[in-house]
Parts: sequence; C-alpha cells; structure tokens
Amino acid sequence: MSKQSLEDRLRAAGNPVDMLRNSQIGPYAFPVVRAEFTNWRDEQHAWRETCALFDQSHHMTDLYIEGPGALDLLSRLAVNSFKTFRVDQAKQLIACNHDGYVIGDAILFHLDENRFSLVGRPPAINWVQYHCETGGHDVRAERDERSVANQGRRKVYRYQVQGPHALKVMERASGKPAPDIKFFNMDVFTIAGRKVRALRHGMVGQPGWEMFGPWEHGEDVKAAIVEAGQAFGLKQVGTRTYPTSTLESGWIPSPVPAVYSGERMRAYREWLPAQGYEGTASLGGSFYSNDIGDYYLTPYDLGYGPFVRFDHDFIGREALAKMGDTVRRKKVTLAWNSEDVTRAFGDLFVKGDAAKYIDLPLANYSTLPYDRVLKGRNTIGVSTYTGYSHNERSMLSLAIVDVAHSEPGTEVTLVWGEEGGGSRKPTVERHVQTEIRATVGPVPYGDVARTAYRPT
Amino acid sequence: MSHKSLEDLLRSAGNTAQMLRNSEIGAYVYPVVPAEFSNWRDEQRAWRETAVLFDQSHHMVDLHIEGPDALALLSRLAVNTFDNFTVNRAKQFIPCSYDGHVIGDGILFYLARNKFVFVGRAPSANWIEFHGATGGYKVKIEKDDRSPSNPKGKAVVRRSYRFQIQGPNAWKVIEKVHGGRVKELKFFHMDYMNVAGRKVRTLRHGMAGAPGLEIWGPYAQREKVRETIVETGKKLGLVQVGSRAYATNTLESGWIPSPLPAVYTGEKMKAYRKWLPASGYEASGSLGGSFYSNNIEDYYVTPYEIGYGPFVKFDHDFIGRNALEKKADEPHRRKVTFAWNADDVAKVWRSMLSPGDHYKYIDLPLSNYTSSSYDKVLSRGKMVGLSMFSGYSYNERSVLSLGIVDPSVEIGSEVTLVWGEEGGGSKKTTVERHKQIEIRAIVSPVPYSKVVRESYAEGWRSAQA
Repeated sequence: MSKQSLEDRLRAAGNPVDMLRNSQIGPYAFPVVRAEFTNWRDEQHAWRETCALFDQSHHMTDLYIEGPGALDLLSRLAVNSFKTFRVDQAKQLIACNHDGYVIGDAILFHLDENRFSLVGRPPAINWVQYHCETGGHDVRAERDERSVANQGRRKVYRYQVQGPHALKVMERASGKPAPDIKFFNMDVFTIAGRKVRALRHGMVGQPGWEMFGPWEHGEDVKAAIVEAGQAFGLKQVGTRTYPTSTLESGWIPSPVPAVYSGERMRAYREWLPAQGYEGTASLGGSFYSNDIGDYYLTPYDLGYGPFVRFDHDFIGREALAKMGDTVRRKKVTLAWNSEDVTRAFGDLFVKGDAAKYIDLPLANYSTLPYDRVLKGRNTIGVSTYTGYSHNERSMLSLAIVDVAHSEPGTEVTLVWGEEGGGSRKPTVERHVQTEIRATVGPVPYGDVARTAYRPT
Repeated sequence: MSHKSLEDLLRSAGNTAQMLRNSEIGAYVYPVVPAEFSNWRDEQRAWRETAVLFDQSHHMVDLHIEGPDALALLSRLAVNTFDNFTVNRAKQFIPCSYDGHVIGDGILFYLARNKFVFVGRAPSANWIEFHGATGGYKVKIEKDDRSPSNPKGKAVVRRSYRFQIQGPNAWKVIEKVHGGRVKELKFFHMDYMNVAGRKVRTLRHGMAGAPGLEIWGPYAQREKVRETIVETGKKLGLVQVGSRAYATNTLESGWIPSPLPAVYTGEKMKAYRKWLPASGYEASGSLGGSFYSNNIEDYYVTPYEIGYGPFVKFDHDFIGRNALEKKADEPHRRKVTFAWNADDVAKVWRSMLSPGDHYKYIDLPLSNYTSSSYDKVLSRGKMVGLSMFSGYSYNERSVLSLGIVDPSVEIGSEVTLVWGEEGGGSKKTTVERHKQIEIRAIVSPVPYSKVVRESYAEGWRSAQA
C-alpha cells in the first residue's frame, strides 16, 4: 500500500478549512530547550536592554541543497533576486505558488559554491525539496528534521545573540573585534577554540549574530558565550519566551501555506505526505471562511514587497506582476486595549461562559492563527501571531489590514475566540467570543509606537 | 573553594534564610512530561468530570529499601504507626526532625517481605538514605533519582514508570483496560491488574471521591502501557495531563508538597548536614514569598499544622517523638485553603498591562516561583498564617492556595495575603522586579472542592477533617 498523500487526505476530508480547523495535533511544540531559564519577563527584557541568547537548534527544519543546478532552481522558486547572491551571504527566501500567494519563507544560507542550506518552518522547505527531487535539476537535497523530544541531535547547533550588548558579548567570546560586515553577510569567529560560522543579524535596530557549526561543538560554544555574556547581563531565552520576540520585530511566522487548492499545485499535494506540516497543522481563530483561498496571503500583504524582483523567472511571477504596485493591505502591529484584555482575563473567575484563555506570553493556540479584525462591523483584516510583550507592557499581535485602516493610531476591533463555542482542536476549551479593541501601530513595534500612538 | 557538605555551605553562607531566598536554581520543574497534551483548562476539568492519566514517572525520587532491618529503620523515622502495616499496603510516610518539625513526606510502598520503596521529593528520601547508611541497620538502599530538570534532548531512563488513572470514570477505564471486574480494595491497599497482557502492580488511590489507581512497572514498558490506557480511555473521556496542570491537582485535594525541610538547625541534625552534599535539594532549593524571617526555624512546620496530626502515633519510638509529645496538646495552626479575591487577582494582571512597576506575575495555572513558598497571611494587619502552594483551578474558577492559619482564624473569614517579595524582590532567577500587593482571600476548608469535601471521607488527605 502506498503512503497517503496530502491530496488523499484533502479528498477524504472534503474541505481543507474544516480539516485544518479541527486538527488534533495540539500545541505547536518548541522542543528540547527548557521553558524558562530564569523567567520570561526578564528574558524578554534581555533582548531590549542587555543581551539575549536564543537556542534555535531544535525547532526548525534544515534542508541542504547541493549541485550545479542549485542556484537556478532556488531562483526559480523565489520572488527574491539572485543577481548579487554570493557565498557568505544569506537571504529571506519567499516562495509563492503560481497564483502569487505565499507558500512560506525561510532563511537561505549560501554556504559554498553550489551549496546552500535553507532553514525555517516546513512549508517553504518542502516546496524546495519537492522541486529538487522532481524537477530534473542537477541538485541533491538532504533534509535534517527538527528535533522531537528525547532525540535532540541535529547536524548543526544554531544560536543567536541579540540585543544592545550582543556585539560586546561576541567580541568577548571570540577575543577579537567583530568583523564589520553588513546585515545578512557571514563570517567566521573562533569561540571556545572552535570555528563558528556567524551571520550578521539584528533585532529592532541592534546588531546581532546567528551562529552555527557542527553539533558536537554546540555545548562548548554555548558555554563560552554564556560565560562571556555574564558581564553584559546576557540571559538565555527559554521556549516560552523565544517565539514572542517576533511580536516586537514583526516577522509573521505562520501564513497558511498556499498549497491546498489549484490544479497546478496538485502534483505537489500528491508528493506531500498526509502527516506532514501541511496535513496536520492547525488553523484557528475568529476569522472563518469556507474557502481556503481566503486565508492565503501575498508577499505584499506580509511586507515582502521590496523582495519581489521581476529580474528573473520564478513561479508566481506573472500573477504578482498583475497584482502590481496597487497595495491593498498592509502589515501592522496591533496593541490590544488593556481594559478589554483584563475583562477577558476576568472571565477565568466566573462560573459559566468565559472568553478564550489568553496564555502568556505566547497566546497562539494554533499553528496558523487567524483572527478577524473589524472596523465598525466590517472585516478589514486578519490578526495572526499573538502574545504579550513585557517590554511594551502590552498584548500585541501582528496583523494584515486594509491600507485605509493601516495608519498608526487607528482604532480597530479584534474578535478573540472561535465561533460556536470553539473548534475541536485540543488546545481549545469551550468558550465564547469576545471583542477586544486595539490600536494600529507600525512594524516593527517600538518605543515610538508606544509613546506616540497608544493611549495610556 | 567548593563546599563538601551542606553544613560547610551553611557555615560560609552565614544566614540560611538569606541563602535559600536568593538561590539561583530556578523554577521547580516537573520534568520530561510535555507541558500540555491538550490545554490545561480541559486537563483540569477532566479529573473532575471524566478521567485523567497522570504521568508521575519523572518528578519524584524512588528509594528502594531492602533488608531484615528495613521495617525497623522506617518505623524509627516516621511519626506513623507501623502496626498493621503489611505487604501490599502503602502509607504516607512523615519523617520529622528531633525537634518535631517536618522534614518531608512521601508514599511508602510495602512491596514484599523486607522490601519497600519510598516515592517522593528528595528531603525524606535523603533522610532515609542517611540513616540507612549510618545507623547500623541491615539494609540495602538504592536510589533512583528524579529525571533531570533539563535533559537537553537526551533520552531519560528510570527504573519504573508510574501512572495514575483518576477521575469519576477512572474505574470504568481501569476495568476496560483490565478486561473484567477489578476489585475495589481499601484506600492505599495494593493489588494487580492486567494492562496489554501484562500483570501490573496497583495501589488503590482516588480523587474527588472517585476511586482510582496508581500503577507502576519497568520503565521500558511505559509507552505500551500508556498507549493502551489512552486508547481504551478515549471513549470515557480520559485525558492525559501535562506538567503545567499536573501539580495543580493538589490545590483541590489539599496536600502541601513543599514545606521547607527542617534540617538546617539543631546540634542533633549536624551529622546529617555533614552527610548531605552542598549541591542537593536542601542546599540549592529556593525559598520565597512575602513571609520573611532571618530565623530559618520560623519556616518549619509541625505535622499537626499541615494536617498530619492523625498520623502521629506514640505507639513506637521515633525521631521527634519527645518533642511531638510535648506539642501534642498545645493549640496548633491548621491547614486551610485560601480562595483568592478575583478583583484583586485581576489587579495584578492589569498591572502587567501598564507601564512601570507591576505586581509579581501570577503564572497560571501554577503560580509558585520557588521550591518552597511562604507568603504572609494577615488579619487586621497582624500575621495569622502562611500560604504555601498556589495556583489556579479552572474547576473552581478561582486562584487557590494551601497554607496554615492560627487556631483563632475561622473558616469563612476574610484575610489578606501579601503577594510578592519585599524590596523589589530577591535575587532568585524566577523573580522579576516587582512590587507587593495585598490580596483578599476567604479562609476555606481542605480539601477545597465541595465534591471532595462531601465524598472523600476515607481519604488520607481529609483524614483530619
């Protein structure tokens, strides 16, 4: 008997929306790394005030792509330009379907001549792997799956140091001035006697670094960074805190991969396993449509407009060219109204109907969160990634709203919770929907937004 | 220079209370088990409304005690009577210091002639091990330590798995798994049942008035056993409970897991402190909350205070007996549940959403931020008790905590609990800078839940009630 494909699963389920909304996969796990090293409030402070160490060794999938056809293939799958992409550079690769909707994004590292690694959530990685294996290109792909509990061994370790003191920590750990290289360029450091490859990164305007190297070196390198960081207030960030960093930096990790519909995507769906990310991911929130296409997002929606370059041939090019410059929706940060959040929390102390529980600091309860955003009674957008920032002392979510309502300071309303008491997802207790007011802010959200736009 | 023993460490630290209040050990972790299988609200509901599977394979120490003197050793260390204690029975074992203060507690299983296993937090296990090693008893002791708090992805192996099946549908699940009738023995009696073709040892337990079982066996069989129970229990609403919800079940049943072990003072305890390592639970466990005294003895409690009075039996010689005989007839503080005022709790939450200093974060559903929690409880500005384990119950829709109050404090009266630490907070890593707040609470019975109070008559936790 042949293995079930995503296409089989979808056919059996009928509607992909209902299948995903009632997925039994449970909470999205950030494996292996401990929940809190100190406490999540102080861990959030660290990336704003001192220095944070993120251990990203476990939660992402890595795909190694090698061969003379690699660059051509990647270029064909990405909206991004590959014109000046050299060894020791990286880019955020955005993959779209034929209709110009986003399948996923991931970080592409140009490791060597004809050798790349692609790191991120599975949708973009699966899509690239599919083309490597079926496209007749001269490439080989090797996949290094994310860790599951009790296994925990990867090909490489992956750490980030972020925050105002990141540079000093790197210099102390390596015993040398840090190389003066641009954002998303790579260099080599020596830490704990080990060669460490480092990508110049950064959060909210501060220089940072992402480091990787052979798994066996991981513990030594981490110990040396922690040691070097002591004088600078470095804090290790646990899995409760880690995913909330994006609320302040503005990357949306969780668009619905645009793979569930369309004749031209069928062969891919037949290749994808039924039990993979696309087949088991959970979809949740107050935004509900029977048409999975209503959940798809364009690169423009997600703020990737500047990456779209028509200097090469790529899947989705024609559709994106047609969409053109008329941007209709915009990515924003929503700062939730404190009174309304407190009211929702207060439901925990009343017998009977309660608002959907807001977990802190990360409040997502599905792999793919989609909440309705209203102006008056009209739906004007969706709110996706949701959580609390102790730096901003606010619940924040990353949203995509109509341009007309994207001006910072605009008051909107967000519907929190699912209709009809909630879907069958294990993460969803019975609850009632509630409306929460929110103020539109920029992406990334920062001091300016807090002081200028948010009512106190 | 590194210290060899707890005694060395205490001597160089100066003040014990200050040392423990600033321990940087971090949160007390319930290791290995996933944080949530579904969501902690529904997981809590399941033990009240359907059935749950608790995975207790990782957070407790197992101490195996074997030999002709095992019973004599254990009896010498326990306030409990050992009359009528026979093979296939278990008891809640309470050891005290010479001064009659609680060192800890745990469950002692009488497995076979001269063969026992003690299961619980480290302090009691360490105390038994010490006497086994130094007291001239003919016993062999093997310790199977709790799983590491941070396994870093490495495989964890223990000697045994340990599960509990609890809740109103538990017995139906048990009989379905067993494939026939399972005799309902008395509380804390042991027997066997069949799970997936294996004969598995059982301890009759119970929750919220409904009978349940604790089961254990070789660790290698745990996934098969789990799978069978989960699969069989599905139709009866059985839910696996994750590590976030697990520890909160005691808020409804009323056992206080974490009194400070009374081992830090007293000349007669010195040999033990010299034997204890400088890096164990007693040395690195953290102490916190709004109650603060420079005298570590102010944190000690007697068995009478935390509800173990009925277990103290002067029918045998045991460490602490003389002291407890003197205390027996004095008035005792007594164990209660505090039901926190919802508006005051909401104030704490609201402060998290405003710039500037906020109150100590109340994590849900378990809000302890130390190994041993001690919050001041006041009445008209005067201290009348301590709150010692806190969290939220979705079943009761309330933040609850377990603690002790002066004899004069009546059930139903309103008291004030001080939440958070003085001066912006100690140096514990779990403590962000914060300010203190007074939270009103209603003094309530133990166990708290109406269901438990009315139908748990035989239970060990309610024995005093």
